[in-house]
Amino acid sequence: MSAQLPANLSVETVREISDARDEPEWLLEARLEALEALDELELPDVIQTPGRRWTNLEALDFESLVDPLNQSDETSREAPEDAVVLSFTEALDEYGDLIEEHFGSVVDLETNYLTALSAALFTTGTFVYVPESVDAEDVKIRAEMNSRSLFSHTLVVTEKSSSVTILEAIESGNDIDDARYFSNLVEVVAGENSYVQYGSLQNLDEETYTYSLKRGDTDTYSTINWIEGNLGSKLTRSDVETELNGEASETKIVGAFFGHDDQHLDVNARVWHNAENTTADLVTRGVLDDEARSVYEGVQDVGRDAWSTNSYQRENTLMLSDESEADASPKLIINNHDTEASHAATVGQVDKEDLFYMVSRSVPEQQARNMLVEGFFVPVLEEIEVDEFRDDLEELIAARLH
Amino acid sequence: MSSDQDHLKETDTEARFEFKKEQKAAFAAEKGLNEETIRVISEDKDEPEWMLERRLRALKQFQKMPMPTDWPGQPDLSEVDVDEIVPYIRPDVEVRGGVDDWRDLPDDIKDTFDKLGIPEAEKNALSGVGAQYESEVVYQNMQERWEEKGVVFMNMDQAVQEHEDIVKEYFMTKCVPPSDNKFAALHGAIWSGGSFVYVPEDTTVDMPVQAYFRMNSEGMGQFEHTLIVAEKGSEVHYIEGCSAPKYSAFNLHSGGVEVFVGEDAHVQYSTVQNWSKNTYNLNTKRAIVEKNGRMEWISGSMGSKATMLYPASILKGRGASDNHITIAFAGEGQNIDTGAKVYHNAPETKSTIESKSISKDGGRTNYRGLVHIANGAKNSSTSVECDALMFDNESTSDTMPYMEINESTVDVAHEATVGKIGDEDVFYLQSRGLDDDDAKQMIVSGFIEPITEELPIEYAVELNRLVELEMEGSLG
Repeated sequence: MSAQLPANLSVETVREISDARDEPEWLLEARLEALEALDELELPDVIQTPGRRWTNLEALDFESLVDPLNQSDETSREAPEDAVVLSFTEALDEYGDLIEEHFGSVVDLETNYLTALSAALFTTGTFVYVPESVDAEDVKIRAEMNSRSLFSHTLVVTEKSSSVTILEAIESGNDIDDARYFSNLVEVVAGENSYVQYGSLQNLDEETYTYSLKRGDTDTYSTINWIEGNLGSKLTRSDVETELNGEASETKIVGAFFGHDDQHLDVNARVWHNAENTTADLVTRGVLDDEARSVYEGVQDVGRDAWSTNSYQRENTLMLSDESEADASPKLIINNHDTEASHAATVGQVDKEDLFYMVSRSVPEQQARNMLVEGFFVPVLEEIEVDEFRDDLEELIAARLH
Repeated sequence: MSSDQDHLKETDTEARFEFKKEQKAAFAAEKGLNEETIRVISEDKDEPEWMLERRLRALKQFQKMPMPTDWPGQPDLSEVDVDEIVPYIRPDVEVRGGVDDWRDLPDDIKDTFDKLGIPEAEKNALSGVGAQYESEVVYQNMQERWEEKGVVFMNMDQAVQEHEDIVKEYFMTKCVPPSDNKFAALHGAIWSGGSFVYVPEDTTVDMPVQAYFRMNSEGMGQFEHTLIVAEKGSEVHYIEGCSAPKYSAFNLHSGGVEVFVGEDAHVQYSTVQNWSKNTYNLNTKRAIVEKNGRMEWISGSMGSKATMLYPASILKGRGASDNHITIAFAGEGQNIDTGAKVYHNAPETKSTIESKSISKDGGRTNYRGLVHIANGAKNSSTSVECDALMFDNESTSDTMPYMEINESTVDVAHEATVGKIGDEDVFYLQSRGLDDDDAKQMIVSGFIEPITEELPIEYAVELNRLVELEMEGSLG
């Protein structure tokens, strides 16, 4: 079902946002098109099984959540010298052509109601550009959300044979006595033989509803690796997707989530094999405590022309409480027979024998359990190339355990 | 190859399954579905009033419910127009409810079942046989020694008359209500024929009972209902087989199966489905399993144009268990969408699902499964394993499992793999003197062995033979 266009949204609102940033005409047009499409668009698909929808996005009241003209964030960006890392707005001056070429090329802005809303209203975000043969390490983007709603759009473009590792972190700044909405669209255009690791850490306060869609497009021999850490928010809907469009390109989607209280996490990893000799590896690990609930969908879609595909997926959920719920649907869609594909999913508790072993070695039970939960995330932590990101994630996990 | 296999290879699929008979009917309903048709069917069967009322209620449900159209990757059902179906044909048999001697059947019907090999199987390996032709059971026999123990195996229409209390209690009330899905509603409105099996407490029926369903007429629908009630501590193995010749118009098969597995009881339900390739097979099968009861679903889906079938078990009592073993084989123009559903609603319940699929020549298979573990179903475990084998690049194979886990003290595992037939395996077998076809056949036979070894030997042979027929001469 489609949501209504909130009364506080209008062409004037969008013009005002665009004018305030002194944006080029093409971007204003793109925003207005997205705004116009809102009437027709549906909310993102959620998994449905007989009798229930796994995530209730219809319950979101955009009228009260969205305050387009009062968006505020505090964002710091750190970058090595030879790479370009600018706020989206600043980048328009110098890199307008490059941005125009790629903006909305990976994420169709009219994918659904929430992507269009984001495109029409975004005020923050980052442009990352890595020129040919440049290796850019440890790009760090740390953002604080200081308003009721915040819309962000990030574009990463890597040229031939370049590489970049990125950490993007979002948390809540100013305390606001109300429900909040954070929206984040990320597009990665990976040039031939380039390498991108895009790490994301979402730790917003638990009054916030979060929607994020991250999507990458690979060229020949290129690699896009995603690391997605979700700890905060009341409701998180996160889609991380790669289209393997270049021959012999690769992707890894590594996810970690830890839900407690009544958090709801709807986490999705999807990959499309559209070219020959492509490889995908999807790894997600999540822990649920209290009344938290996770919904996971993983899709490996092997197209008719994707000869010689390798595609793997694993999803493991650890449940620490009987009141929590873990829903999972790892899907394989195979249209080319020259494929080696597998997926596996498990749900269980902290292993009783492991626990017994540690307790018998005189580790107190609570501490032993915490160590096992921390250990559970190791396969995800090991993938992280930005040290600061790994430390942050480890710390947040430790802090959540009691 | 052994001489046995040589013999099987000679069997002509056309002669065995796809032969057609001239249509002769004692009574045929008009095409389409309305209240009048249902009243006529019910009257023709001399049904009690309550059954007519249930039918009419189901019809209302059916008219209300939308066609399933929005499942990801589901078969196209746009051709399924119920107004074009002849919902009920009573074959021209003297004795209503079936004869108990094959020789008493009209020659053309007897000939049909002879060709299918059913009377022979009855002699050799079965406790009882029911045979349905079009909408009604034409043959029904149960060995005396079981009847003496109180085991009932009769056709469903007869059961409505003779075991009215049991049927009234269980028929589409607790297990498969008409509201379950559009085709369950359709089934509830125009069901006809099928089997009723009742096994009293602590009785073990140690040879399988079998029902065979044959659709012969063009453009008809078959809607047989199977109701199995296995009381506490009893055991029974029910086998269902089916086939239909191929016509240009579509056929619809929309059966309903309800199984009640009592405390400590054990029911095995085996199907080898080989509907002709113009049949839409839209079935609803479900079991309710009480404390420590055990349900086993074993199915081979070979035929049909499109199948949507997800046998379900509701594990209601502590310690109840379920095993699903399924194999789907989709060739040219076929879309086999099948899987398993298990609801763990009590502590210490267990389920295992093993699913194998093969697709070739543009065939499409899909495993669609649902495992639900309710809050409080402590120490339950489930393991799901799906393997898909693909022959060529025109074929498609999907796996769409859903897992809803509301309880932490559980053990849930799902695994799926997809692969093509290994070139190395084929090369190895060829280097040992097998030709390409035989090598691939052998690999497929090995692939489905976990399924065939669960079936009684006659069925395993039949399944292997069907697989071989599907593979024959069509390999590149």
